[in-house]
Amino acid sequence: MSNSFMHHPASYRDPSGFIFIKEAVLYRQVNQNFKEHFDHFISSGCYESLVKKNLLLPHEIINKNLTGSGEWYLTLKPEHIPFISYAYEWSFNMLKDAALLTLQLLKEAMGYGLVLKDATPYNIQWHQGKFIFIDTLSFEKYNEQEPWIAYRQFCEGFLSPLLLMHYSRMPLQQLQLAYPDGIPLAVTSSLLPGRSKYSLHTYLHIHLHARISSKNKSNTNQITRFSKQKLLNLVASLEGLITRLKPPEQKSAWFEYYNEASQRKDYLQPKKEIIQHWVENLPDIKTAIDLGANDGAFSKLLAAKGINVLTADFDAGCINNLYNDIKKTGEINIQPLVVDLSNPGPATGVNNEERSSFINRTPVDLVMGLALLHHLAIGKNIPFPLIADLFQRIGNTLIIEFIPKEDEKIKGMLKDKRDIYNNYTEENFTSAFSRYFIIQKKQPVGNSGRILYLMEKHI
Amino acid sequence: MQVFLLYIDPGSGSYLVQVIIAAALGVTFFFRNIKTYIKSLFTRSPKKPDDNPPA
Repeated sequence: MSNSFMHHPASYRDPSGFIFIKEAVLYRQVNQNFKEHFDHFISSGCYESLVKKNLLLPHEIINKNLTGSGEWYLTLKPEHIPFISYAYEWSFNMLKDAALLTLQLLKEAMGYGLVLKDATPYNIQWHQGKFIFIDTLSFEKYNEQEPWIAYRQFCEGFLSPLLLMHYSRMPLQQLQLAYPDGIPLAVTSSLLPGRSKYSLHTYLHIHLHARISSKNKSNTNQITRFSKQKLLNLVASLEGLITRLKPPEQKSAWFEYYNEASQRKDYLQPKKEIIQHWVENLPDIKTAIDLGANDGAFSKLLAAKGINVLTADFDAGCINNLYNDIKKTGEINIQPLVVDLSNPGPATGVNNEERSSFINRTPVDLVMGLALLHHLAIGKNIPFPLIADLFQRIGNTLIIEFIPKEDEKIKGMLKDKRDIYNNYTEENFTSAFSRYFIIQKKQPVGNSGRILYLMEKHI
Repeated sequence: MQVFLLYIDPGSGSYLVQVIIAAALGVTFFFRNIKTYIKSLFTRSPKKPDDNPPA
């Protein structure tokens, strides 16, 4: 076996090990310098307990130096995560639960004489219907006299965006994209309204934290005494504060869409039946993406068939509702995502390689775009050829709905807009998509005037 | 051990601030516990049906 492997571009910060890919399999190397901590993590029973509680991603230990590195101590093969998502693609409650999970892990680890040495949302991923912690090398031996090394990181990565959304009542996922290392405390402190200072815990963790941090530049070597109880108090305070935070306004423009649409019986039911019938006859569909999914009604159809579905919508409120729903029902085949298709997540970080773009992460077997086309073509002025290109980058099989210009929804959209959409015709739509796809099936949905298409990419 | 602890820059004053915040929280939680204790003297905790399973 050759020693050729690819160092994962996002795994460079921590000297205790790194992620690499070899023959299309992802591994994690533990370096010699982290041996003491890692051995304690395993021998104390911490790892086993966290895996049993479904809080930490399990791994298999491979006793082979696959990188040929002189620093090698162990190789781990973590369980596969099919789709990596980032905090700016999560809804409020998703980020909130990820924050609470981080604090829970810290507390659990402390019980085994360990502590979390970092606290970033990137260490948390969606796995079988819930969030799970993935960074096995984040646990190190706990020195009770030291404060929590990852405290500021936690405040900037989790607490800052949550508080800003809570107080502004606005979905601010984009802010997390602008500040990948967390929103700096000074920024959060100045953006939060003055009344947030009257909340003791917000005042302490953000405003006071920002003020003292900026003043004491020369005091890094100051001897500070801490204790386990003090850290537990800190965690209890963060937990209490985060638990009380509320998501921004849940009633969005599209929230009532299905409530209203479902009243049109000649529309939703036949639409479900057509899709169900088509999907049943499609071979080998294991993964799918439902774009513009709203409340995820059609994702659920696919999930019920055992297909892993990425359920994406640009409306953070819809995705938050869907997440709450999944938590209640225990659905494991749906992964909710906040994505604006006219501006999907870019490739970011060092060399633009640390976090890959949304489109690079997506390839799936089936793409579904229901009642979506007109939002992109008319709402965002994206021409059909560009939309067709977007879909062909994401998957090979496509179920897409064409909504004619005479439709009530489009008339509503054009009421406050100049009609510059002479090209919005079914003919132009099919010709643009035919460049990449072969139209397999076409069926009108009841008497709604809307048409469903099943397409397959040219090979 | 220091090597690993410091790979993320803990930030100027971030350690000191924790000491101050933890002290403030210590006082807050101390009084909150007293309040909870006094409250518990005057209120009876409602018994759940599960508390006394039939023998």
